[in-house]
Amino acid sequence: MRLEGEHVFDAPREAVWEALLDPAVLARVLPGTERLERVEEGLYRGLMKVAVGPVSAGGYDVTVRIVDPVRPESYRMEIDGRGGLGFARGTAEVRLSEEGSGQTRMHYSSDLQIGGKVAGIGQRLVDNVAKTMTARGLDALAAEIRARVEGGE
Amino acid sequence: MPERLPVRVTVNGSPREGEVEPRLLLSDFLRHELGLTGTHVGCEHGVCGACTVLLDGAAVRSCLLFAVQVEGRAVTTVEGLADGETLHPIQAAFRESHALQCGFCTPGFLMTLVPFLAENPDPSDDEIRDALGGLLCRCTGYHNIALAVRRAAEAMAGDRPAERPVPATNGGSRAR
Amino acid sequence: MRADGSASGNGGARAGRVFGRGVARVEDRALLTGQALFVDDVQVPGCLHAAFVRSDFAHARIRGVDLDAARAAPGVVAAFAAGDLGDYWKPGPLLVPPPPIERLEFHARTQVPLAKDKARHAGEPVAVIVAESRYAAEDAAELVYVDAEPLDAVVDLEAALAPGAPLVHDDLPSNLAARVVQSRGDYAAAVGGADLVIARRLLYDRGAGAAIENRGVVASWDPRAGELTVWDTTQAPIPIRNGLAAMLGLSESKVRVVAPFIGGGFGPKIMMFYPEEVVIPWLAIRLGRPVKWIEDRRENFHGTTQERLQIHDAEIAVAADGRIVGVKDAFLHDTGAYDPYGLTVPINSQCTLLGPYDVPNYHSEMRVVFTNKTIVTPVRGAGRQHGVFVIERLLDLAARELGIDRVEIRRRNYLPPDSFPHDNNIIYQDFAPLVYDSGNYRPALELAAELIGWGDFMADPSARDVDPPPEGGVRRRGIGIVSYVEGTGIGPYEGARVSIEPSGRVRLATGVGTQGQGHFTSFAQIVAEQLGVDADDVDVSTGDTREFHWGTGTFASRGTVVAGSACHQAGVKVREKAIALAARILEVEPAAVELGGGGAYVREDPSKSIGLGELAARANPLRGAVRSGVEPGLEATAYFGPDRGSTASGVHACVVEVDPETAEVRVVRYLVVHDCGTIVNPAIVGGQIHGGVAMGIGNALFEKLHYDENGQLLNASFMDYLLPTATDVPPIETAHIETPSPLNPLGVKGVGEAGAIPTGAAIAQAIEDALGIPGLEILEIPIPPDRLWALIEAARAEVPA
Repeated sequence: MRLEGEHVFDAPREAVWEALLDPAVLARVLPGTERLERVEEGLYRGLMKVAVGPVSAGGYDVTVRIVDPVRPESYRMEIDGRGGLGFARGTAEVRLSEEGSGQTRMHYSSDLQIGGKVAGIGQRLVDNVAKTMTARGLDALAAEIRARVEGGE
Repeated sequence: MPERLPVRVTVNGSPREGEVEPRLLLSDFLRHELGLTGTHVGCEHGVCGACTVLLDGAAVRSCLLFAVQVEGRAVTTVEGLADGETLHPIQAAFRESHALQCGFCTPGFLMTLVPFLAENPDPSDDEIRDALGGLLCRCTGYHNIALAVRRAAEAMAGDRPAERPVPATNGGSRAR
Repeated sequence: MRADGSASGNGGARAGRVFGRGVARVEDRALLTGQALFVDDVQVPGCLHAAFVRSDFAHARIRGVDLDAARAAPGVVAAFAAGDLGDYWKPGPLLVPPPPIERLEFHARTQVPLAKDKARHAGEPVAVIVAESRYAAEDAAELVYVDAEPLDAVVDLEAALAPGAPLVHDDLPSNLAARVVQSRGDYAAAVGGADLVIARRLLYDRGAGAAIENRGVVASWDPRAGELTVWDTTQAPIPIRNGLAAMLGLSESKVRVVAPFIGGGFGPKIMMFYPEEVVIPWLAIRLGRPVKWIEDRRENFHGTTQERLQIHDAEIAVAADGRIVGVKDAFLHDTGAYDPYGLTVPINSQCTLLGPYDVPNYHSEMRVVFTNKTIVTPVRGAGRQHGVFVIERLLDLAARELGIDRVEIRRRNYLPPDSFPHDNNIIYQDFAPLVYDSGNYRPALELAAELIGWGDFMADPSARDVDPPPEGGVRRRGIGIVSYVEGTGIGPYEGARVSIEPSGRVRLATGVGTQGQGHFTSFAQIVAEQLGVDADDVDVSTGDTREFHWGTGTFASRGTVVAGSACHQAGVKVREKAIALAARILEVEPAAVELGGGGAYVREDPSKSIGLGELAARANPLRGAVRSGVEPGLEATAYFGPDRGSTASGVHACVVEVDPETAEVRVVRYLVVHDCGTIVNPAIVGGQIHGGVAMGIGNALFEKLHYDENGQLLNASFMDYLLPTATDVPPIETAHIETPSPLNPLGVKGVGEAGAIPTGAAIAQAIEDALGIPGLEILEIPIPPDRLWALIEAARAEVPA
């Protein structure tokens, strides 16, 4: 499954970068995230619950490793999620560029393998679920960043 | 120990009861708790229709209901269809028309057809095919099932005896 | 007009009182009233329930399996991974070794009880949980952590054979499972003399057998008697009994395998020694309690064998008059992760391609490929449909190119009726040379063409317009006609025991299992005909190894041919015994005695008679002496093994309507003219054909297992894998031609797969005919609307309007 897109945040690049790598923020904004902790620099573990059509509320133990971070421009993530409903694994890439007037453009792309029950039964819904989750996550992230920026002012 | 809830239900005219986990499927309750194994399970996601039973007279898929949902209601399974030794006209028509082969999906077809023919005593061929369209059979190609529905409708309309010898017409024409 | 198909007239049984009649089935009452016993209906007191933990990855190295959490879960009794099986863990048997073909290369790699070092397809069992209920077992299964290192998956057949491809089996040099070349004549030399050579790539994709009953196994161990009983959804209980006994170190007489009513077989329930089939009996012995496992539908999509992916690069060389000069074919066959069934499926493809045609020069090379997908074994048709698809499509293309009518090009290429037995000079799946025993193909073609209205359709310029066109669109009508031969009824043998009981009822036991083909009735009819009783008077036992010790199973359309012939021979022997005894009692010559009405009587004086029950009692006296040389009782056992398979044949014709804008295809007429030799029960034969055609329509238009590039099956449910329903299948017209087989006493040939074999070819041809778009060629199966739409668009783009 491939996902790619862009989003423009009303915040400077540093602020977006900080938010993106703060597990507390991510745990709040990523739909279905029950827990997300930084194990060490660049390594996160957590639990996500995802419902895909008839396959509901399955828990994934998720490990995310940040690779090649170039602050505050880009990083890659290696994602490995496993649970009773199967697995999701792959990579994602995030690039941040400065727009004029204090805005930041985020370009993201990911390539995930989905396996197990979700693949076999929920496949035709996976793309839409992923897109919906991404859209909700980005909106929440934008709100979070706005709050931070405003709070910091 | 998971929570258990009481279920009281009338099955094929007799009161039955049990204590079940809330997640127990009606199909599993009928088959494994009540021993009514005539209701078959083919997919457990509501597509094949083999597990169809009547709930207060309406055809429902027992794999899509929990046992606790039928509390206080009436369920009819394939075991409740014949009148003693006398087959229900739909059962008889299936036998006469060679409308079953492995017979695994058959209970679901029979239980779907009971309310269908009650509501449509003289269905057209298209209506018959539509009525069968939500059920899967892998053996018969539906050909003889469609014939059986027509035959059952005729038997139920007239006073034809429920069972009679099979004419050798359903194997097609023959050249020797 | 009716064709006279019995031209070759090799004898064979003729319709009698019950034989050859459409008598209602004796098994139906139990099935209709919910009283028939299927495997999931078996309830043994104290039974435990098993759930399997399956690999989510199509290809992964297994570093460890953590069962601790599962073992601690409520209701769990035990949990096992591969290492816990000890010496019991070994790969399953190679069920069908490769036939004796020169220079054949074959690598046997068979499935294992639980994946140990590597998982080779998604859904392969890795561990098993046993609990007090299935619900508890499944809960616990989700707690199992399989420490697996994912590996790149082998999915695409050509990529699988490329250098450097990941290996399904690390100990083999490549993913090549087998390579077989068979030929007759000299294609390379002959092709130069042809007027036209057409080469194409043809694809037949993966499908599922999808019996409505999933698989299941219940095992119960009696430690005092040292006896194991296994209820199993198998088509072949006796080989399973023998295999389990060997694996478990028990004598065969201490293992009873029962295949009760089976909810559809279609091939995948063949003797497989599936992981679950091997593990559940072991668990029952190990735990000392009965254990049940019933497959769910999702497991069925991953764990039950599948069929069909082949890619053919084929060419046909023809003369200007359409006569076949030769055929050359090179194909890849996807066997999945293991190849326990040897070469059965691809050999069927290789052999069936020759069809009813005179193909003087043939060169066929097959390569069988291991992939990280579910195992491939025979599914209804068992590779025959691929061969038929290739030759029929090539003939259609040749006909189009040469401007010859599609019926005519077939007519010109048929083997003539005086050419039988016809030796094709290649080896078939039963290890014997592919020899057609009998056949007369043209009458079936002419009859089918007439019944479908071929001549009128071709003569009528408006035949292809659907009138009135449905609202808001155009629909086009097309017609297709194809023919096929089908090797059926192969050996090695089956047996049957017939006995008359003092009650007057007849008992018949045979070893084959039955999955809805009506064997209870057909076999009863065969025996009843000999003993002068009704089919209802015969109690048939099939599929219980306690009732009959010897046999192989139900597959390759062989039940009626092989087991039916054994029933016939046993019935004949008992008939002779009954007549001899009756003659003595009635004091007449045996020749004067006739059986009928449940008794024996003197033909010239029917008032002198004795009932079969009394005869049976007199045959087993408590006092006096049984004469030397006379066996007690009215009982006989007989075995039948045909020298080789008998060749059924037929013609399918259909009319389809296609919406060129939405690419929706509706099959509006479907006709089968079939020759399966002598017919035991026309109702049952008709039913077999109807079901086969429906499966063929599903395979042609909808049924495709979608694997992604990582070997994940993306449509593992009936929501996404579409089976044909009553609204997709038209009424099916059938006509029978009977050319009796000389290879068995009944003259019968198999019929179980006939409906499913040429269906794809017939529908593809009709779709092309309907659309009439130059360049549009349907060279793949299935052809769902999205794919057909793409082909239509591509063809339109090629040819400017």
